[in-house]
Amino acid sequence: MAYVAARGGETAIKQAECLFREALGSITEERVCEIQRSLPYLVDRVMGEASLYAPDLAALALAQSGGELSEAVLLLRAYRTTQPRIAYAAPIALDRQLTVRRISAAFKDVPGGQVLGPTLDYSHRTLKTEVLAGQPFTPTPVTPAEKPSERAPPAVAGWLRDQGLVPPADDTEQDSGDIPDLTREPVLFPAPRAHTLQALARSDTGGTLALGYASMRGYGSVHPTVNEVRLCEADVMMPHPKGGHFNAGRVRVSEAEVVSRAQVDGKPILKLGFAATLGWNEVKTIAAATLDLAMNTAGAHPANETEFVLYHTEPIESAGFCLHFKLPHYVTFQSALDVFRGGGAAADEASPEEPPDVAPDDTPVLEEALP
Amino acid sequence: MTALRDLVRPWQRYSYGFLDESAKRAVRRGLLKAIAIPGCQISYASREMPMARGWGTGGLQVSLTLVEPESVVKVIDQGADDGVNAANIRSFIARASGARTTTDTLEATLIQSRHRIPEERLTRNQLLVLQVPDPEPLRAVVPDISVARIMHADADYGLMWLKLYEQLVQAGRVTQSSSYPSLVNGRHIMSPSPIPRWDTPKLHQAENLTLLSAGREKRLYAVPPWTDVKPLEFSDVAFKVEDQTGRVCERTGATGQFMNEMPLLDGTSTFELSDAGFAEKLARRRAGEAVTIGPTYYVDGELQP
Repeated sequence: MAYVAARGGETAIKQAECLFREALGSITEERVCEIQRSLPYLVDRVMGEASLYAPDLAALALAQSGGELSEAVLLLRAYRTTQPRIAYAAPIALDRQLTVRRISAAFKDVPGGQVLGPTLDYSHRTLKTEVLAGQPFTPTPVTPAEKPSERAPPAVAGWLRDQGLVPPADDTEQDSGDIPDLTREPVLFPAPRAHTLQALARSDTGGTLALGYASMRGYGSVHPTVNEVRLCEADVMMPHPKGGHFNAGRVRVSEAEVVSRAQVDGKPILKLGFAATLGWNEVKTIAAATLDLAMNTAGAHPANETEFVLYHTEPIESAGFCLHFKLPHYVTFQSALDVFRGGGAAADEASPEEPPDVAPDDTPVLEEALP
Repeated sequence: MTALRDLVRPWQRYSYGFLDESAKRAVRRGLLKAIAIPGCQISYASREMPMARGWGTGGLQVSLTLVEPESVVKVIDQGADDGVNAANIRSFIARASGARTTTDTLEATLIQSRHRIPEERLTRNQLLVLQVPDPEPLRAVVPDISVARIMHADADYGLMWLKLYEQLVQAGRVTQSSSYPSLVNGRHIMSPSPIPRWDTPKLHQAENLTLLSAGREKRLYAVPPWTDVKPLEFSDVAFKVEDQTGRVCERTGATGQFMNEMPLLDGTSTFELSDAGFAEKLARRRAGEAVTIGPTYYVDGELQP
């Protein structure tokens, strides 16, 4: 039998990809536009986890991956990292942005009012099955309010600060280009706050929710009160070469701020936890803001450890590593089998003048030896 | 008049070798530092690659940084050139660099590998890039990298020795299989990546440079040429490689090299060389072709000096 040169894998991987892509069919501009139009919250989730605001590219990523979320995020991240940094936008002050939704659970009413905005929070979650029978669902038109809500209601935290309930904010001016960038340098611990907030902003929605929920449910020391949840259309202000800034467009931004009681020098105070993401991702920002508070507080729960939270909520790292177990591991397994079988002749070479005190017990061997 | 476009290079969708120049520079800086401090883990940003994390993105970043148009690239996974992921990485490196590819270890100038070192001895003109899933040898005794970092800085390796001793006491032998922790240049304990113990001695006083890169964990480290790499062992319990006694490669008749074991229906096993490029050459020689086969690290299962 002639030895077949090592090329089998190349055809196999090519055809496997063809099978996947053929099942999805042609990807047209219309399909991408339809995804962008009909699934804005899914597009937001992908943009948030990819930390790249580009609704058309996010919709394209969803179209290419057939909606496989971790694939879509990976596509967008891999594209993002090849793009040059041209300039740094000015920081966004959320209380100066076009706010479409802003609620506070901490007070019955707050300056600027409770602005419910677009939400399904109070809807009855019933399927409109008549659509499947050919009867289109047409939403009831919105009745405009007599008095529109404030364009940019003030931050609730501002009132808390004025009252001395939370410490004053650090207003030090910092050049945007000097802020440590998680995508250009590795996170080391203790992590700078910028890295922590960036990691939470691009974290996996499900993972962040799981850890945040565990903390809220009682494993952590944090009992959060939602001080403010806000959805904005934020202006992107870019520096102009001739000085000043110009408005380069708007991005959807979501923010959550939670408060919890804490003690500093024996005195009770309120501590703020904060998270913000590109796109409207409410559940993630609330969970992330809770984790922001929980991290680095005393407690044995993993949500109290920054390193644990940031490493294990990374969407493409966690998904990629989990999926890599599909790769062949037969060499490492062979190595483990060798240990399990006792090393054969090699074992005779050892000079066991004194055999180990404890009788060998086979049970832990394979467990330890397995890669 | 000079137009702006005359002053710049023509626009390209991607840079040479896919990574942009700043990413390559960051990898090169990390590599230089890693070579200067053998076995020490150097953190780097580790860009997202157009491949899933945990699938060789660390090795790939090093390969793409160092590859040149005249390079000859070999990529293996578990020793095999035709592993699906090896094929994928090889075609990506070739596409991004225009470099030629090979399955012959002797011909390769850049070898990216997942969990094997070829059986033919590497020389000074060859670069070995090992993919690393977990760069931290202390992970089993301390899961937090922030704590492990301090232990490395202090050369505080007592827990690691204790771990091996406990294995010995509880199981009658050291049960660490692949990724065998090794002391590099008498200073840093390193995980040689999940290569079998068979391959670990190949790193000791090697003629070639070995670069190890963990993309997901964002760490680079290196074993420079002519550097001591000593697997941790007790003075009275020697380090042992996987036993290959009595195993004969079904395709080539070779013995005394690292073998893949394949179970048979009757409860026995058959064996084949794990190093597929080496096996290919042996098979071709068997068929009467003139093939150059280099000296191997092991002869008849015995490590050669």
